Formats: sequence, C-alpha cells, structure tokens
Amino acid sequence: MTTVRPGLLRIEHVMGMPVIVDVRDEGVGAGPIDEVVSWLHRVDQMFSTYKDDSEVCRIDRGELVLLDAHPDVQWVLARCEALSRETGGYFDLRAGPDSTLDPSGLVKGWAVDGAAAILEAAGATNFAINAGGDIRLRGGALPDDRWRVGIQHPLERDRIAAVVETRDLAVATSGAYERGEHVFDPHTHRPPVGVLSVTIVGPDLATADAYATAAFAMGTRGAQWTATLDGYEGMTILGGGRVLLTQGFPAAG
Amino acid sequence: MRRALAATLGAATIALPTANAVAAVERSTATVAAPKKIVVTKKVTGPSVDADRWGTVQINVTVRKTTTTVKGVRKVSRKITDIGGTFSYHTDRSLYIMQQSLPQLRQQALQSLSANVSIVSGATYTSQAFIGSLQQALAMANKV
Repeated sequence: MTTVRPGLLRIEHVMGMPVIVDVRDEGVGAGPIDEVVSWLHRVDQMFSTYKDDSEVCRIDRGELVLLDAHPDVQWVLARCEALSRETGGYFDLRAGPDSTLDPSGLVKGWAVDGAAAILEAAGATNFAINAGGDIRLRGGALPDDRWRVGIQHPLERDRIAAVVETRDLAVATSGAYERGEHVFDPHTHRPPVGVLSVTIVGPDLATADAYATAAFAMGTRGAQWTATLDGYEGMTILGGGRVLLTQGFPAAG
Repeated sequence: MRRALAATLGAATIALPTANAVAAVERSTATVAAPKKIVVTKKVTGPSVDADRWGTVQINVTVRKTTTTVKGVRKVSRKITDIGGTFSYHTDRSLYIMQQSLPQLRQQALQSLSANVSIVSGATYTSQAFIGSLQQALAMANKV
C-alpha cells in the first residue's frame, strides 16, 4: 500500500543557488547525477560574472575576443542577442544599472536544459531539475504520473499562488523578491512597475526564462505580449493581485 | 552562528500522501486474529543547504511508521508528525531574515504538502534551500 518515493535526490550549491536534481527512475544510478553536477560546475566556471577568470568576465574586460571563446560561450551570447531582438530589447545582456556583460539570465536555463539532456541520454524519463526556482520537468513524480509545481505567491511568502500540473515542460518565474529587484527595464534602467511576477512554461527552460524576464521587464504590457508567444504559455500576476493566464496555461483546478 | 529552528517552527501534524493506508487495514473483520500493529517514531534530518548569502538551513522531519499485519499481509503507513531543524547565519541581518522567513516557509511547506506539490517556481533562494533540505528529509522519511 505504501507509496515509497523511488529514485535519487541530490542538492548541489552551484551558480550561486541550490540546484535540486530529483530523479524518480529506479536504476538510473548516481553516475548520471554526478555527471550533471560536474556539468553545472563547468558552466559556472565559464559563465560566472563573479569569477574574474571566467570567459564571460574576460570578454567583458576585452581580454578575450568572442571568436576565441569556447563554442558554448559563443552560442549562448549569440542566443542572447537573438532573444534580445525577439523581445524588443526587453531581454538584455546589459540590463543592469552598471551595464556589465551578464548572460546569467539565459545561462541558468541553458545549463539546466543541458543537464536534462544528460539525464535523458542515461535513460531517465521521470525527473525534475530545480535551479533556484526555475524548473525543467520530465515524465512524472513517480509514483504520481505527473509533476505538480507550486507558483510562489509574489507578496505572501507562506503561500503558493497557483499550481501547475504537467509532464514534459520547463517552468520559469520572474519577479521581485528577497534578492532585491533584480530585473530592470533595459530602456529605463529601473525596475518595472505594476507587475509582481510572470511565469512562463514551454519546451525549453533557457527560452522560458528569457521570456519570463522580458515579460516582467515590460511591466503591465507583458501579459499581452505573452499571449503572442509560439509554444509558450504565461501567467502574469499584476500589482492589484489580478492574475492573467494565456489560453493554454496548464493551471491545475 | 547556529540556532535551532524548533522554537520558531513548533510542532505540526502533516500527512504524507501515503497516510490513507491505515484506513484500509482497520476494516478487518472479527473473524480474523487481532491485527499485529507496530509503531515506530523516528527523526530524519535532511542535508544542510546554503540559503544564498543568508546562511544555511537544515530541516528534519519526525515520521511515525505504523506496520500492521493482518492474516500475514503486512501494511505500512507513514505520517509526518513534526518539522524542525537548525539554521546558521552570518550577521544580525541574516539572523533577522532567517527568523522572519522560516516560519513562513514552514507554513508554505505545509500548504505544498497538502496540495501534493514538491517543487515551487519563483521562490527565493532561502525558500529553495528550505525546500531542498525538506525534500531530502521527506525522501528519507519514506524509507524509515
């Protein structure tokens, strides 16, 4: 009768946040999870804006030209540029007040997408990777056949605002929380007004995360923009507590 | 500095999704031998997890495991009867943040458990540290 939770759970502090790797498949073993952890540390080493010797810091200081950078760094920076164009500049590499090169808004999701690929290659079909609240899901939370994800209430820390029920999806939320208002409107260099949080779900976490950041930075106009996205759905919580969902958003009843 | 959470958190009774197993066992009829029931209570502790720049959080849960044997069929149920833990902090500011946030996080954890939610999107890193340590403790509680 008892439903024992199968698989393995690992928590690793990397990229400045706790990353929770929750694999529910029996028989996948610790090997692929070790591989995920070392991948995340390699990404951190290359992309960290806090490590002076990271490729990103060296590029920002003009010590490394883009063409000599690691192919992953070139790819990520090019993807950032493409997303910046796609979002009308609201997802921006240099959005912060000090305008330093900071691709971390894309790197976290991209690193988790890579981690998911490692687990899938090892045969895992039921797992969740949670990087500081941005999540990539596959299959179900065995013995349950799907994952249930709480969306943080933006004003009350003791509550979840909604539940998303899903199988294969990425979930990213952008908002102004304990770390301070870390999303800025790149056009005004100030935090957006009138919006508390934006959650985007879709096939890959890097894109979902970038869209969530962009929609949040747009302020009250962001919700309308999320309705135009192809393959991604959004939930926007406005200042007055109003919640706006796009048509296909997988909110649980 | 390190402090116990117990005073902040207090005692709580929350059911794992498995708790209903008991009801099925209690339907046994008078014609069979009295069911054999063994109750074990154990405290399991999750790992210490970094909560961004505020410190670390380490959550423990108390699990009560009931094993009932009816006509040679063994049934096991587990119930979480308490959440506690310890946290560390670096400065007066981080002590304040921890003391403010942990009771709220415990409240959110209770809400999440009752809604069968194991992940929270968009929460702060302190929340994620709490959730991480709690998830590991719950996984261990399931194996008691």
